[in-house]
Amino acid sequence: MLLREVDYARPETVKDAIALLAENDGARPLAGGQTLVNVMKARAASPEVLVDLGRLDQLRTISFGADGMLELGAMATYAQLISSSEVEVARPILGEVAATIADVQVRNRGTIGGNVCVNDPTNHLPPLLVALDARFTIRSQGGERTVGASDFFQGVYLTAVGEGELLTKISVPPATSGTGDGFAAMTIGRHGTCIVDAAATVTEDGVRVVLGCVAPTPARVTEMEERLAGSDLSEESVRAAAAGVGATLDPPSDVHGSADYRRALAETLAARAVLQAAARRKR
Amino acid sequence: MPARRLLVHFLRDDLGLTGTHVGCDTGNCGACTIHLDGEPVKSCMLLAVQVDGAAITTIEGLAPDGELTPLQRAFNEHHALQCGYCTPGMLMSATALLERNAHPSEEEVRIALQGNICRCTGYVNIVEAVKAAGGGA
Amino acid sequence: MTTVTEQPTTTLKKGYVGQSIARREDKRLVQGQGTFFDDVRRHGMGYVHFVRSPYAHARIVSIDVSKALELDGVYGTITGDEVAISTDPFFEMSVEPGGNIKDYALAVGRARHMGEPVAAVCAATRELARDAADLVEIEYEPLPALVEGEQALKNEVVLHDEAGSNVVWSGVFSWGDVDQALAEADHVVKIDRLHFHRFASTPLECAGALVEYDKGMGEWTIHCNHQMPGIGAIWMAPALRVGIDKLRFVTQDIGGGFGNKICLHPQYVVLCLLARKLGRPVQWTEWRTDQHTANAHGNERTFLDIEVAVKADGEMTGFKVRAIDDCGAFPRYEPLGCIIWAQVTPGMYGWRNIHVDFTQVCTNKSPVSPNRGYSRMQHLWLTERIVDIVAAELGLDPVEVRKRNYVKAEQMPYETPNGCVYDSGDYAAALDMALELIDYGSIEERRKEAAERGKLLGLGVGSTLDSGTNNFGQSTLLNPDLQFSGNNEAASVKLDIFGEVVVTLGTVPQGQGHETTAAQVVADILGCPPEQVNVRRGHDTWFNAHAGFSGTYASQFAFTGLGAVKGAAELLRDEMVKLAAFVLQAPEESIELSDGMARIKDGPEEAALPFMALGAIVNANNAFLPPDFNPTLNHRYVCRPYFGMVDKEKKTGQLTLTYATQIHAAVVEIDPETGEVEIIDYAAVDDCGVRINPQIVEGQVHGATAHAIGAALSEDFVYDEDGTLLTANFYDYHVPHALDMPPLKTGAMESPSPVAPLGAKGMGEGGGGGIHCICAAIQNALRPAGKPIVYDSCNPPHRVWSMLQDPEATRANVEVASR
Repeated sequence: MLLREVDYARPETVKDAIALLAENDGARPLAGGQTLVNVMKARAASPEVLVDLGRLDQLRTISFGADGMLELGAMATYAQLISSSEVEVARPILGEVAATIADVQVRNRGTIGGNVCVNDPTNHLPPLLVALDARFTIRSQGGERTVGASDFFQGVYLTAVGEGELLTKISVPPATSGTGDGFAAMTIGRHGTCIVDAAATVTEDGVRVVLGCVAPTPARVTEMEERLAGSDLSEESVRAAAAGVGATLDPPSDVHGSADYRRALAETLAARAVLQAAARRKR
Repeated sequence: MPARRLLVHFLRDDLGLTGTHVGCDTGNCGACTIHLDGEPVKSCMLLAVQVDGAAITTIEGLAPDGELTPLQRAFNEHHALQCGYCTPGMLMSATALLERNAHPSEEEVRIALQGNICRCTGYVNIVEAVKAAGGGA
Repeated sequence: MTTVTEQPTTTLKKGYVGQSIARREDKRLVQGQGTFFDDVRRHGMGYVHFVRSPYAHARIVSIDVSKALELDGVYGTITGDEVAISTDPFFEMSVEPGGNIKDYALAVGRARHMGEPVAAVCAATRELARDAADLVEIEYEPLPALVEGEQALKNEVVLHDEAGSNVVWSGVFSWGDVDQALAEADHVVKIDRLHFHRFASTPLECAGALVEYDKGMGEWTIHCNHQMPGIGAIWMAPALRVGIDKLRFVTQDIGGGFGNKICLHPQYVVLCLLARKLGRPVQWTEWRTDQHTANAHGNERTFLDIEVAVKADGEMTGFKVRAIDDCGAFPRYEPLGCIIWAQVTPGMYGWRNIHVDFTQVCTNKSPVSPNRGYSRMQHLWLTERIVDIVAAELGLDPVEVRKRNYVKAEQMPYETPNGCVYDSGDYAAALDMALELIDYGSIEERRKEAAERGKLLGLGVGSTLDSGTNNFGQSTLLNPDLQFSGNNEAASVKLDIFGEVVVTLGTVPQGQGHETTAAQVVADILGCPPEQVNVRRGHDTWFNAHAGFSGTYASQFAFTGLGAVKGAAELLRDEMVKLAAFVLQAPEESIELSDGMARIKDGPEEAALPFMALGAIVNANNAFLPPDFNPTLNHRYVCRPYFGMVDKEKKTGQLTLTYATQIHAAVVEIDPETGEVEIIDYAAVDDCGVRINPQIVEGQVHGATAHAIGAALSEDFVYDEDGTLLTANFYDYHVPHALDMPPLKTGAMESPSPVAPLGAKGMGEGGGGGIHCICAAIQNALRPAGKPIVYDSCNPPHRVWSMLQDPEATRANVEVASR
């Protein structure tokens, strides 16, 4: 409900932000605040210093890199994803999924960087970005490195971003011909928290299927992907490929569903996401 | 003023602008909705220090001279409020919508209000009021 | 046999009453100029934060506040030990053993539910109070937690040593001869278990108060949102060991109540003690988490061993049931819920043989408080489930079974087996209206079309009664020593010196538009426009416009509140007429009030006195009035509905006076793979008699429907086996948002009440109609999938999915024996 005392800094440059994070053990970056402020209200976490990234406009841009990759600044908000013409042209699924996150107020503040760095298993973007094979650029005082999606998400609330480091951008391959993306989720009410979600990408190279909410990190469903190799992606084959996926999972049980329910949802939603992706393949 | 003070408490307790309300602990209910540089946001998920230098509009700023906006009048005509507690937040969200989309559809109105919980009206008359103020799409 | 006293309904000339006049409350509320209690400030005030038990059940070994007191800005603290010394336990309504429970303002010696206040700290700012709370060191010794109502009966874990049992109250209600009905029945349908779940209306504004103590007078002023201050004072004054006049309650704007702001007295007593102890005003605002964990849940009720007698032609002749009501850690307003359901004993139906074995128990969960539809909703859900299950099992049409068994319009006023009188209504006509609104004729077609898309479509009807205007004498059926009976509400109407009409109410509105509807009634009686009628906001003890039962609850404002307003306005009118007659030197019969003037009917234009003149005469210029004529132009009226006495032995009597009807119908589509339920069509028909302001009535129907939809599909206060509430915030306790609501169609009928002063029945609670019809619709939709029985009032996707996976498990619940 009310935060513990905290120090606050609002650096003007990324370099200064990283310096603050590196110099203070108890420092945490404050992006959109749509998760962190709640966590601090509940006193579940109480950083000593909040490093407000709000002035770092260079982290808010959405553009194309020289290699044609869609580059999303870590501080780009969900609202920006939704209204960005670059996103719409290159990888519209990002805007479509962002439009189902919470509500307008949250989308005006919440950032793509915040969503992935929190890595709450119920967040929408981690499984989606794994399906899209996104790459994550992390900067520290020592330099910059880029990490693949499967290496980025390491555990519940745990990512490859270490102490004194900052995620600066996420690079997503643009959709090429033959690429289609799908996303299916079961949520607590419309636009609510995910109970199980599935993201799928179909390319000429094959299918990527990723489940959220069933494991500490987004779970690639490799058995299903293998069964779908060379498949016609008809309803029948996709359903058949999804069958049995549930048994390979160890999802949590909670008030919104038992582990068995989540297993069943995983199979259904994985199939629906793939079918959606197949139907939306770019010509 | 402590860095940890939430914007909503700063507005209410320090500035005496009590029209913005607190309805929950976890940023769900939207009763605290204000405009930050023209965009609707939840003031319970912002620290007051964060908005230093920004333009804030609260419910008191919609009709500063007491002349109700068409939307406020529509709320009255369509009985879009009962207890009135969610109303400031609803008006801030709906005002922002109408500024961007003068004739929203029913679905667009509901999407715009999705972050504002009401326990009295079932949203029926609220949606009607916003559509009416928007000239009824 | 009860006699109905027909209170004559005045045919008010149809003026403002009956019109959907826009609300005057809105002007301040749309500008954010409402005054909710947290908006009130006092110089030097302290903010209070409660330290609450993290355990569902624990012995409190020690409390050390010393570190908290050392924190700069902390004004003081209070613990259970102090409370036990300076206050007496709250008045309990039950008989033994429940009546022996000792309920203090803070936990004394033991914490009995997660979130129970154990200590309180007061500091200069909200944040400091919160910090100080973290510094209070409490040692607990956890005890086993009791979280199941049925388990509670075994008394293995006993919550209250003084009671020695978890049973708060138990009793058997038996009318007619159900065993004979079962013996003569052609079919006996047995249902092992139905469960009505725990949820609440979660008003957006949380509870709270700002309390000031006047040392010189020994009086407290409580700026708050308590929706029934009459009973709040009855609990608090004896506990504080003061006279009731030492407590002044002031309410202004309230952000919703729905019954959940009736049992605030424990926290308020703590605030009173702190205000007195610290010598400064103190303020407390409940956190959302605290409202969910520790304020007010609705009664959770399990129905067991249900047996229903049905004739071959579909007539249902009786039922028996064993009900276990789980009221959480402390009864408080309970055990009233143990009798209030009996206002609607037969539901909407004509069966005469009913047997209810009712037991209420304590568990280590949040205490309950009346919740919109209080106690009747649970019972009506039972009767509606019975009708649907009987219809499903016997292959009958649930619509036809209802029509066959409904109490008929020609039977009104209808006396139920336990002496209640349904005043008016035409259930079959309301049902037809609801069915037409959802295009009943096309259901089978829509079912086929949905099936082609892989969806299961179903239709359900939920019929319900909104019983209003409580007879508090029903409490004596629970405890014959209680000294409560009848009901009342007060209002005062006066003409001020400048001719202003001023109304004060005893009711405590939380959004029901009382200022507007009261003005409509007064305007019609005094012949002035409603804009000329000023209605003071809220409730203030010092208005002296309240009575013992004052408040806004139990769907009774249109009867008692407006009845009081009408009575006071008529007294004022009569006096104004008499005064005008004297001044204008004309006979009283020739005087009329219209357009804000008192004039001679069809007389010359000069023969008219504006209200201001009348006010001025009495207040400032009265010497010429003869000594035996002493108008005051200030009248207080108490509306006392007449019930007669209840029969404690037979447990019969008129427990309530009016019965509004609501018939709901829903069409749902279920995704069989996920269990997700989508409401694709919905209709609610309301009949509350004369509608004072149809738009306000419709708004109440919308709101009650939203509450019911939330309860039916997602809102559930779920506990784990340690007594931890798992749904303590709006993420996990999902209430309907704008995108969750289906398109709502509403219809209205007016069957005037022969007993209400304005022909208007109370309404607003809605009786849970939405829960009944959504359960019915789900059961109907799932028929092709193994005919599972809906056994719980809350059916989120995971439960629907489970029913699809194993319909037999739910069917094992039901047995039909036929001749």
